[in-house]
Amino acid sequence: MNGGPTASQRFFLGILPENPVYRQMLGMCSTLAVTNNIQAAVTMAAAVLFVLVCANLIISLIRHWLTPYLRIVIFTLTIATFVTVADRALAAFVYPMSKMLGPYIPLIIVNCIIICRCEVCAAKQGPITAVADAAGQSLGFGLALVSLAAVRELLGSGMWFGSRVLPEAWPDWVIMVLPPGAFLTFGLLMGLVNWFTARRAGKEGA
Amino acid sequence: MSYLVDIFLIALSAALINNFIFYYFVGICPFLGVSRRVEMAFGMGCAVTFVITIAAAIAWGMTRFVLMPGAPLAQWVAGWFVDPETAKAVDLSILSYIVYIFAIAASVQFVEMYLRKYFPLLYRSFGVFLPLITTNCAILFACLTIMSQVAGVDDPAARWDLGRSLTMAAFGGLGFTLAIVIMAGIREELDACDVPAPFRGAPIALVVGGILAMAFMGFTGVDSGIKTALTRPAAMGVQAVSPPPAPVVATPAAEPGKQGAAK
Amino acid sequence: MTTMSAPAAEVKAPPPKDDGREKGSFQGWLVILLAVVFGGLLAAVELTLGPAIAANKRNETLSRIPELISVPAADSQKLDIQPLAIPVTRDGKTTTYRVYRADRDKHPAGWVIQATGQGYADRIEILLGLSPDVASITGLFVLEQKETPGLGNKIAAIPWRSQFNGKPTGQALEVIKGGATQASQIDAITGATISSRSVAAIVNRVTADLRDRLAAEAGKEAS
Repeated sequence: MNGGPTASQRFFLGILPENPVYRQMLGMCSTLAVTNNIQAAVTMAAAVLFVLVCANLIISLIRHWLTPYLRIVIFTLTIATFVTVADRALAAFVYPMSKMLGPYIPLIIVNCIIICRCEVCAAKQGPITAVADAAGQSLGFGLALVSLAAVRELLGSGMWFGSRVLPEAWPDWVIMVLPPGAFLTFGLLMGLVNWFTARRAGKEGA
Repeated sequence: MSYLVDIFLIALSAALINNFIFYYFVGICPFLGVSRRVEMAFGMGCAVTFVITIAAAIAWGMTRFVLMPGAPLAQWVAGWFVDPETAKAVDLSILSYIVYIFAIAASVQFVEMYLRKYFPLLYRSFGVFLPLITTNCAILFACLTIMSQVAGVDDPAARWDLGRSLTMAAFGGLGFTLAIVIMAGIREELDACDVPAPFRGAPIALVVGGILAMAFMGFTGVDSGIKTALTRPAAMGVQAVSPPPAPVVATPAAEPGKQGAAK
Repeated sequence: MTTMSAPAAEVKAPPPKDDGREKGSFQGWLVILLAVVFGGLLAAVELTLGPAIAANKRNETLSRIPELISVPAADSQKLDIQPLAIPVTRDGKTTTYRVYRADRDKHPAGWVIQATGQGYADRIEILLGLSPDVASITGLFVLEQKETPGLGNKIAAIPWRSQFNGKPTGQALEVIKGGATQASQIDAITGATISSRSVAAIVNRVTADLRDRLAAEAGKEAS
């Protein structure tokens, strides 16, 4: 059952080298939808962290009894349950934020990151590795969301975390907080990440 | 406002104005993954439209009769175990998400089997995409929209019926197909372009998506314009509505409305 | 307690798919076990958090009421708020308005009406505060809107919506581009005339529909 990367390897792999958003291109819906301000992005990442850690832990604990037929059913059941818990908890404790994120919290159920991590890691490795993997992947996801939200909120409204950062004279690029801004920013940032990776690989090669 | 106008506006809004991809960002994964060739994109779009309509029907039925607070079926079942007064308070909405995702999975399975058996030709054209669809956000999103329009509405008159729900789902699916086919058409042309190396693949697709989203933003406000035009006398309210002769009794006051409409 | 038993019933459907392997029979039990555990978890969550969520939903509207009927926040505890549902039939279509009646020391302190209408981009939902005699508007709050950021969404900002304070309800409000002069006029937001008009239209509809009903209610109490 062992033989995969260790817990600490899994954790660090998730943050940058196997970043779920920039590298694996998973969970794009929420990445684009909730990044018009940083607070929403952080809340979303926290919800994903909770769901992913719980789901990975449960799947890892029962991994010996999983069969191919029912595996996906069990994954879905587990994920849907924890998403419901996260959704209710947000509505109870941070109601305005829960209202703002709206359907994107329940949409975590079909976020490919979670089912992918259950399949790739939790169904094969022990609970500690699975939890480390979940934490690493969620941090990577959060990092990607915040990087995108930081650019969009700054350029779109001149603010960070809801308080003014740029001078009043800054003409807010409203397009950045609108849907097209999400596509453009994400496309450009991903291009930038690719460019850096290619350059570093080129230097190491030379 | 007549029912047909309402249906028309819901269809317009779901397909173009609040496009699933360009406005709500649901279904981005296939939008980027399956948009390399037009035929593939079209097949995917058809499969999504097909499944989304079936899932919407199930979601509407489940929400209306089982899941929403005070749903008749849940009340009836609960009535066997507890007294009727307690049964009225039954609220199964916490199970909504689980029920929806399994409804989607079940309808995907069903559609796949049905197509393979009776329409092998159709199955060959878009059957391969069916298993992928279970994790397509667009379908769960349609179910969630129906949930908010059925269970989240106070006024029973404003609650969506099956027709409205199906219209939203089917035209949402059409809008998805439109978006993904346009995207595939552009990407086929992009193959012939000299794109800078770091931008090849997903990044340039996203930038193109951004420009398309800007184009789709042009539809914003079309529905409110049409709605205002169709219901002008009552809704505009810009012209003066003279105070009506005060009806003293607190019966449903139809007077002010009629005056407004007569202007 | 019906919530307890229901989750299990809901998800028991998959197990019959037994693949006949060694693990297979155990797998069925596993799914049932998980369903029961998760059902219990969800029931526990619903029981502990349900009241808090319901309270949040209620407070979202209730907390705005003192401000809308110009009662200082410090006195908000003294208000006795009573929700009413008032159906109004217009052009053969019945709309049910949610009206909050606020009383202070057994005297009417004002009315707050929740109403929705079509905006430029999507539905706009507002709360409208009216004086006890329903003669003038005392406040306007935008609960929900998805108008264009930077333009239309200024309808939710104080500078614009405070224009409505003190406007008479007897006459329909008119939206004017640049420089409202008369009592029944509202300045349009530059670049968002449609959003401005939409809000004014909702306000006009509410006052036209409910003015006499509420005045009659208030008069009934007084006599």
